[in-house]
Amino acid sequence: MEEERKEETSSQKYFPILVAEDDPVARRLLEKKLKDWGYRVYKAENGEKAWEILKQPEVRIAILDWMMPGMEGPQLCLRLRQVKKPHYTYLILLTARDTSFDIIQGLEAGADDYMTKPVNFMELRARLQAAHRIIELEDRLLQAQKKLIRLATTDSLTHAWNRGTIIKFIREEIDRYLRGDRPFGLLMVDMDNFKQINDTYGHQAGDTVLQNLVKLFKRNLRNYDRTGRYGGDELIVLLPGSDIYDTGLIAARLLDVCRKSKIRLKTGQKISVTLSIGGTTTDSLSQVQINNLIQTSDRALYLAKKLGRDRVILFGDSIKLEMTEKQNDRKS
Amino acid sequence: MTENPKRLPPINKEEALARIGGEEEFLNELLEIYRNEFQKRSAELKKAISEKDFQTIREDGHSLKGASANLSLPALRETALETEMAGKNQDLEAARKALKKLKAEFDRLQKFLSQKG
Repeated sequence: MEEERKEETSSQKYFPILVAEDDPVARRLLEKKLKDWGYRVYKAENGEKAWEILKQPEVRIAILDWMMPGMEGPQLCLRLRQVKKPHYTYLILLTARDTSFDIIQGLEAGADDYMTKPVNFMELRARLQAAHRIIELEDRLLQAQKKLIRLATTDSLTHAWNRGTIIKFIREEIDRYLRGDRPFGLLMVDMDNFKQINDTYGHQAGDTVLQNLVKLFKRNLRNYDRTGRYGGDELIVLLPGSDIYDTGLIAARLLDVCRKSKIRLKTGQKISVTLSIGGTTTDSLSQVQINNLIQTSDRALYLAKKLGRDRVILFGDSIKLEMTEKQNDRKS
Repeated sequence: MTENPKRLPPINKEEALARIGGEEEFLNELLEIYRNEFQKRSAELKKAISEKDFQTIREDGHSLKGASANLSLPALRETALETEMAGKNQDLEAARKALKKLKAEFDRLQKFLSQKG
């Protein structure tokens, strides 16, 4: 008699599994065994129902009968391999037949493994262990991939987008704009007296201030706005969907929240910083190109510095918008 | 009716119990599922034979073959295979014979189980 092992590995506990089998005896038998082993069992008695369950992202192991009304096992394998699921689904085919032709056909359709019926449950359990190994391997691979993508696209100090990535986002937004979609705004942000902070409190303090500034931006921007580190203490903010009016309001808000917030240094000291912001928007420029956008914002930023810092200057082809602390006035 | 010594046993209970993990109660549950399935399939088979629907004959035979194998019912398994083959070969006469034999084997199983129980 087969020895029941009730203990499960953590990966198996409530792990969703599909059993697609039209024979109710085999279905119940598989269900009971799999439940005993800790799985959460989804059942299907025909191909269509199996397909509906198989499409769900959390179902990552499936035991499919070869012959089923509606859609046969290999057909299901083929179909599943053609759709994009976020995770790999491990497929085990059950077959009453066991000629090599069938095996090849099943594996070519996309099955990972096959078993002949009636199922030997010791064997099934061992094969499920192999399935879990594959799944765990894939999970680790995806995690590593995610981490690599994060490392390659973000700035390690501030976790803002890095220069290459924010430029890529700007280019994408330009494409969207040129297709006649929506305008967007671009801000170049520079911290006032950053050198002085570094000189007075040390470079670590400068790092802390930058990190806090990016956090502050994220809290005060819309979730589809993007902040990138352009270099040193210079940040770029991309404001999708914002025309010159919205861009001005958002920039003024950043100026304001920054001025009001106190940044706590590791030494316990609290300091405030101010910003100079230069920017432009696609709806105020006749030539929408990445170089033009960045140069125009840069010129505006330069002017903001020159006029005494702690202010926003926005440039268009024929307009200049200025906002300062004291008065949110506009000049054109 | 005299028992043919070469006739396959209705159930190989030891084997069935070993496969499902040794629980007699669970075996009874599965046999009950089997009974319902058998009634459904044999009714379907009867209809399929009268309509010369060989595809359904084949499918019913195949499905009963699998269910019988799971519960270690050798006689029914073999007769289900004959049914499947009759469907595959489009042999109506063989299908009729197979259905008759299926019912006889099913009755034999029922009798055997009630005697044991």
